Amino acid sequence: MDFNVLIQNVFNGLAVGGVYAIFALGYTLVFSILGIINFAHGAVFTLGAYFTYAFLGARFGFNGLLANQQLPFGVPFPLATLFGGLAAGVISVLIERVAFRPLRNRGADPLLTLVSSLGVAVAIVNVIQYLVGAEAYSYPSLTISLGIPPSVMLGGERPIVIRTVQIIIFSVSMVVLVLLTYFINYTKVGKALQAVAEDQITSRLLGINTDRLIVVTFFVSGFVGGIAGTLVGLSVSITGPYFGIAFGLKGLAVIVLGGLGSVPGAVLGGLVIGLGEALVPAQYVGYKDAIAFAVLFIVLLVRPRGILGRTLVQKV
Amino acid sequence: MNKSILSRIFVVLSLLFVLVLGVAAEDAKPTPADPNLPPVKIGVAVAQTSNVALFGQEQVIGAQIAEAYFNERGGINGRPVQLVFQDTAGDEAGAINAFQTLIADDVVGILGPTLSQQAFSADPIAEQAGVPVIAPSNTAKGIPQIGEFISRVSAPVAIVAPNSVKAALKIDPTIQRVAVFYAQNDAFSTSESGTFQETVKELGLEMLEPVQTFQTTDTDFSAQITNALAGNPQLVIISGLAVDGGNLVRQLREFGYTGLIVGGNGLNTANIFPVCQALCDGVLVAQAYSYSADTEINNAFREVYVEQQGKNPPQFSAQAFAGIQVFVESLIQLDDEQGLDNLDLATLRAELNKIILSGRKFDTPLGTISFTEEGEIVQESFYVAQIQMNEDGTTGSFVFLEEDAKEE
Amino acid sequence: MEDFIKQYGFLIIQMTFAAMLGLSMYLPLMAGQLSLASAGFYAIGGYIAAVMSTTVFAVPRGAPFPIEHLLMEMLVAGVVSAILAVIVGVPSLRLRGIYLALATIALVEIVRVVSLNLEITGGAIGIFGIPQPFNDKFSYGYIAFPMLLISAFFAYRLERSRIGRAFVSIREDELAAAAMGVNPTYYKVLSFVMGAVLAGMVGAVSAHFLNTWNSRQGTFDASVLYLAFVIIGGSRTFVGPIMGGLLLTALPEVLRALANTPDLFAAPVAKFLSDGRWIVYGVLIVIGTIFFPQGLITPSLFKWRPLKRWGLGRAKPALKEETA
Repeated sequence: MDFNVLIQNVFNGLAVGGVYAIFALGYTLVFSILGIINFAHGAVFTLGAYFTYAFLGARFGFNGLLANQQLPFGVPFPLATLFGGLAAGVISVLIERVAFRPLRNRGADPLLTLVSSLGVAVAIVNVIQYLVGAEAYSYPSLTISLGIPPSVMLGGERPIVIRTVQIIIFSVSMVVLVLLTYFINYTKVGKALQAVAEDQITSRLLGINTDRLIVVTFFVSGFVGGIAGTLVGLSVSITGPYFGIAFGLKGLAVIVLGGLGSVPGAVLGGLVIGLGEALVPAQYVGYKDAIAFAVLFIVLLVRPRGILGRTLVQKV
Repeated sequence: MNKSILSRIFVVLSLLFVLVLGVAAEDAKPTPADPNLPPVKIGVAVAQTSNVALFGQEQVIGAQIAEAYFNERGGINGRPVQLVFQDTAGDEAGAINAFQTLIADDVVGILGPTLSQQAFSADPIAEQAGVPVIAPSNTAKGIPQIGEFISRVSAPVAIVAPNSVKAALKIDPTIQRVAVFYAQNDAFSTSESGTFQETVKELGLEMLEPVQTFQTTDTDFSAQITNALAGNPQLVIISGLAVDGGNLVRQLREFGYTGLIVGGNGLNTANIFPVCQALCDGVLVAQAYSYSADTEINNAFREVYVEQQGKNPPQFSAQAFAGIQVFVESLIQLDDEQGLDNLDLATLRAELNKIILSGRKFDTPLGTISFTEEGEIVQESFYVAQIQMNEDGTTGSFVFLEEDAKEE
Repeated sequence: MEDFIKQYGFLIIQMTFAAMLGLSMYLPLMAGQLSLASAGFYAIGGYIAAVMSTTVFAVPRGAPFPIEHLLMEMLVAGVVSAILAVIVGVPSLRLRGIYLALATIALVEIVRVVSLNLEITGGAIGIFGIPQPFNDKFSYGYIAFPMLLISAFFAYRLERSRIGRAFVSIREDELAAAAMGVNPTYYKVLSFVMGAVLAGMVGAVSAHFLNTWNSRQGTFDASVLYLAFVIIGGSRTFVGPIMGGLLLTALPEVLRALANTPDLFAAPVAKFLSDGRWIVYGVLIVIGTIFFPQGLITPSLFKWRPLKRWGLGRAKPALKEETA
């Protein structure tokens, strides 16, 4: 591999890693507070992308119940993204209310919550298809809407190429990482969240309104997920109702690799897997997905709680 | 399936409407099928849900248009055609369950399933029950060989692929180095790419090794693109499906590739336009169906499709239409020859299959087709088209380049 | 009745296999190990049968496939799965909870990708034209029903044996179990191997049953579905996963049948049941977990203590404790 290709691959890896990271951020947030894997996160991610599409005032296709429908108004893309995120946040809160809270109130096994979230994911994906069909949707390209070139080239003869939209995704995931870290560690709500994460019952006894805090968590997770969905949709278009679900498996690998419940870990995990995949030698590119999981397997054997996972004293 | 009162009213109303039209438009209109006669049921088992629903959805539309079209023209000598839809979802067991349900529902034949892998699983069931199956989109090797009752309207790719490469050479004769990409988890793309690779070698071009593979579920192709562009290709050949293929085209362009791109038959759909948008422009596509083919039946089909869907019909819809058409026209012939009422269901199914495989010709939107005794399609027209995107960057069209000579 | 078997024979056998796959997920879970590897072993078992029956055991087209060869394939699939399970299990079973689940998903995903890339597994198309030992799908019951009965009886005996009690003691408290002289690693690997063998053998029969085998069988989605069998059915007795597998496999087809039954529902409802049956499926899973948090089948169902039945049993937040 010559040097230029190597550098290009590193950039590719960071770009893909940025996508994984932005998907995983909202995912890992719910885990860090509640200790549950929320399979519905992929579906919320998908919904965010579709909501943004709707807020642009764009028309839905010819299949499904909403065929040919569109909102009577449209807003510019950045605003639509924000609205899409907010709507996804609201959906996320609703999911918490319907599928998770009843289980939490009974102190049910987290596995149960996992299966319940799976049910939610199946339902949402199929509702999407029922409403707007299975076809791909896309936003107007950056070039057309904002006049931004589709890619940035560095160097002369054989330039290093980075797609502009990937730079946006990477930057946004960094910003979200910083904001989330600040929110969790330096705000009152964040500290209360940490207390909830540590021990729900005790924090309730200490006068923390845990239910409300959990609603906040789900809202933020859905909001971040919805924005992520929109940005990834900008990069590769909304590929259909399974858009976000397709990231679910990798996303799970990413948050586990980084250390479950660790927000910086999610980003780190995303970048590690992204780089790992990009650096697979050309002739083994067919094994790309397997290599990502092989790396995961080996890392887990060496560090059973992921790279940034906290080791805990075992309770007896 | 049972008709509700509402749909009965609808049928009556639309009949009235047709009647009024018929009177207004003089005597040219054929008599529609008589809804009071017992319908002839044809099963449609395609993926209406799951992550292959994109294709199943198009097949449903094509089949529905065919149902309305032929019923308007008298159905099967007056008896209406009734399509019975059963969702196969995307898996093998789902396809078998859908087939079993249809067979128990006494359909005369089945159009389906969507994927070749599903066909290998479900077709033997129909074979055993003696129910003719027409595959609308199964292109893998070995499908018609599953059994006597299995045939397909979807051409395997061996014939289409080479012409598109030759068309590229015609546009740019200096082409030497070729990079090949294909979706390794898709049966169709895998076999199509084999044909492309042979063609490249036969034409004396240099194929850049290694061939780059991806998955239809992938959305990022930067690793493969970087690998391929390192060899400085002058032509890129892609075998994939709509969404992944579209993204690959888009990312190739964004990575600065400016040479020609040949897309396989999987890219022969307007569904790639929203994915690669303005960057789709100029891609050469191998077509087993061209919506611009100027035949009476294709014009009629395209007209209805455009009216319903606001875009030109994709290959999957046309193939589903053709499949239903083969059933309907064979049933008409069977009725003329023996009278459908005189046959019990098992004989009817067997005789229907005989007619399909008799080698008779069908004038479909795919062009004139017939079947070999084994059930393989004999298709006369293949096309190479070039994508031309409109100024808005989201709509475009396939501009027809050349029609392939008759198949050898 | 004959018509019913003709139409639903396939489904009944499919349900039986699903019940066993649920059981194969349940066995490691008995020892507290959340393994999602069953789908991987199922895929491997299927490939073994598919390759053997189309090469070494090949029969002329249309000729019946000898049942003893089928049994032999199941044996090979079981043995290979067992060996692989030991190799994978020993290092990975020191992981806990979701980390173990992920390590086992890694196995499933690696099996999928490798089978896409190897020549012998037929790439994307897979292996087709797998010979049939029986004339119709329902006759697979000759293999499937005894298999289910034997594995259910095995699980029943296991729960009441010393090994089973060792499993449960590890599930409840691994440290305490170790302190009392139970070797956790040994029993964890044992439970993992048992699940793998069962899944591998089911895969071997399934390859014949489905006529074809490819890399779309036994993926991550399948793993998660098997887990749903266990959780919806109930994870505290072997009857739970069996019921879960039977019910969740039948559900989509029941919805299909309801939608097709004339005059049962108004047309729009029937249309929704048919087009939206996966929506209903998803919602029913949510409802199931909320109203039956112990699963549909709990051990207390078998004891005459009706009061304990509904949600009063002790729930153990296993993941929470470890990661809080």
